[in-house]
Amino acid sequence: MSDGKHILSAFDRDIEALQAMVLKMGGMVEAAIHDSAASLESRDEELAQKVRDGDKRIDALEEQLNEEAARVVALRAPIASDMRLVLAVIKISTNLERIGDYSKNLAKRTGLLLHLPTIEGAPQSVRRMAREVERMLHDVLDAYIQRDADLARDVRERDADVDQMYTAIFREFLTFMMEDPRNITACMHLHFIAKNIERMGDHVTSIADHVIYTIEGAAPGSKRPKADRTSVDRIET
Amino acid sequence: MKDSRLEDRDTTMNDTKISARGVQVHYADNHAIKDVDVEIQDKTVTAFIGPSGCGKTTFLRCINRMNDTIDICRVNGTIEIDGEDIYDKRIDPVQLRRKVGMVFQKPNPFPKSIYDNVAYGPKIHGLARNKAELDEIVENALRRGAIWDEVKDRLDAPGTGLSGGQQQRICIARAVATEPEILLMDEPCSALDPIASGQVEELIDELRANYSVVIVTHSMQQAARVSQKTAFFHLGNLVEYGDTDEIFTNPRDKRTESYITGRIG
Repeated sequence: MSDGKHILSAFDRDIEALQAMVLKMGGMVEAAIHDSAASLESRDEELAQKVRDGDKRIDALEEQLNEEAARVVALRAPIASDMRLVLAVIKISTNLERIGDYSKNLAKRTGLLLHLPTIEGAPQSVRRMAREVERMLHDVLDAYIQRDADLARDVRERDADVDQMYTAIFREFLTFMMEDPRNITACMHLHFIAKNIERMGDHVTSIADHVIYTIEGAAPGSKRPKADRTSVDRIET
Repeated sequence: MKDSRLEDRDTTMNDTKISARGVQVHYADNHAIKDVDVEIQDKTVTAFIGPSGCGKTTFLRCINRMNDTIDICRVNGTIEIDGEDIYDKRIDPVQLRRKVGMVFQKPNPFPKSIYDNVAYGPKIHGLARNKAELDEIVENALRRGAIWDEVKDRLDAPGTGLSGGQQQRICIARAVATEPEILLMDEPCSALDPIASGQVEELIDELRANYSVVIVTHSMQQAARVSQKTAFFHLGNLVEYGDTDEIFTNPRDKRTESYITGRIG
C-alpha cells in the first residue's frame, strides 16, 4: 500500500471523500443493527420505526457512493492500490446496504412481535448475536481505515462465533415450538431475525475480504471456519 | 490462467526473443543504465515505463544499436536476439536494423513522397521483384499504419506535408514495410489524437501475432491497454518486470506503485 500523496491533490481529495462516505455509511449501519436489536429487546416500537425510516438514508448514501466511485473511475483512471480501493468501496457499500436491509427487516418484525406472546430469553439471545455482529462491523471499518489486514482477518474468524450463536438459537426455538404450538408464529419471526443477523455476519466477513484485498492485492486464500451447520446437519429432536 | 477470457494475454509459453544480461550504458561520466537483465518475449508487447531520464529510451536504443551513433556512449554487457549477440563484431548494424524496426517520438518522414517513404526500405532490402509487388507492400504497410484511406489518393505528395499524426502513421507504415521481427517504438503516440492512438494501439496488438514489440510510453493507460509485459525503469535500474496485469493491479515494488499511481515517490 502506497501512503504517499498523489501529485494531483484533487485525486487525494476524491479518495478521502469516498473513504468518508464509507465511514458515514458504516456508522449508520452500525447504529441500525444496534437500534433494531435494542428495539426488539425493549419492545420499543418507536425505536423500530426510527430504524425502518433510517434505511432510506442508507440506500441513498449507497447510491451516492456508487456514483462518486464511478466518477473517480471515469476521471482519475485509478490503478494499482487506488483501483483496488475504489473497487472495494463499491463492494463494501453493497454489503453495508444489505446489512441495512436486514436491520430494517428486523425492525419490521419487532413491530409484529409486539402483538405476539413473548418467548422467554429469545430477544436477549438475538441481541447478543446482533451485538457481536455490530462489534465485528465496527472492527472491520477500523481495519479498513487503519489498513490493518490482521484485524480484518480476526473479524473473518469471528464470524464462526456468530454462526455458532445462530445454531444455538435455532435449537432453542425448535424446543419452544415443540413445547407449545402457540409459540410457532413468534418463533418463526424470531428465527428469521436470527437468520438475518447470521447473514449480516456473512456480509461483514465479505467486507473483511475486500479490506484484505485492498491492502494486500489478493483475496484471502484460506477457507474460513464455518459453524452454521443447520442447513446440512440433522438436528435430533 | 485464472480466466479463459484472459487467455490472449497469456504469454507464458512464448519464447525469449531478446535477452539482455548485465547491460550497462554510460554517456561519458553519466551512468545511464545500471546492470539491467531482462528477457523480452517473442509475440508479446512489452512496455517500458518510468519517469523521464530513467533510461528506458537508452535501453530501447541498445536493442538496435542506435547508440553506436553517439560517440560518448559506451554499452557493456550482452544483448542477444534469437541467441545471437548483436554487439558481436560480425553483426552488420544495417541488417540488424532491418530485423529491428524503430518508430520515434517525433515523426521523421523522409523529404520524399508518401509512397517513397514506405517503399524505400523494401526497395533497398530487395523485398519486391517488380513495381506491382512494391505497390502491394506499400499499400499493405499503409493499411497497417491505419493511414491508407487518408493518403491513397495522394501517394505522390510529400510525406512532410501531412499533419503530425499522419506523419507518425507514415513512419509506422515505413517501419513495418520491411517486415521486421522486432519493432521498437519510442512514445509513438505522443503526437497523435485519441483516434489515431487507438488505431496505432490496435496495430500494435495485431503486430504481436508475429513480432516482438517493445514500446516506451509515458501513458500508464496506454501501457496497460497495449502490453502483456511491463518493465519499470527508475534511475537507470530495472526496478520491476512482470505481467502487465500484475504490475497494474498489485505491483511488488513501492517505487513502481508510487510511479504508476501518480504519487510523490
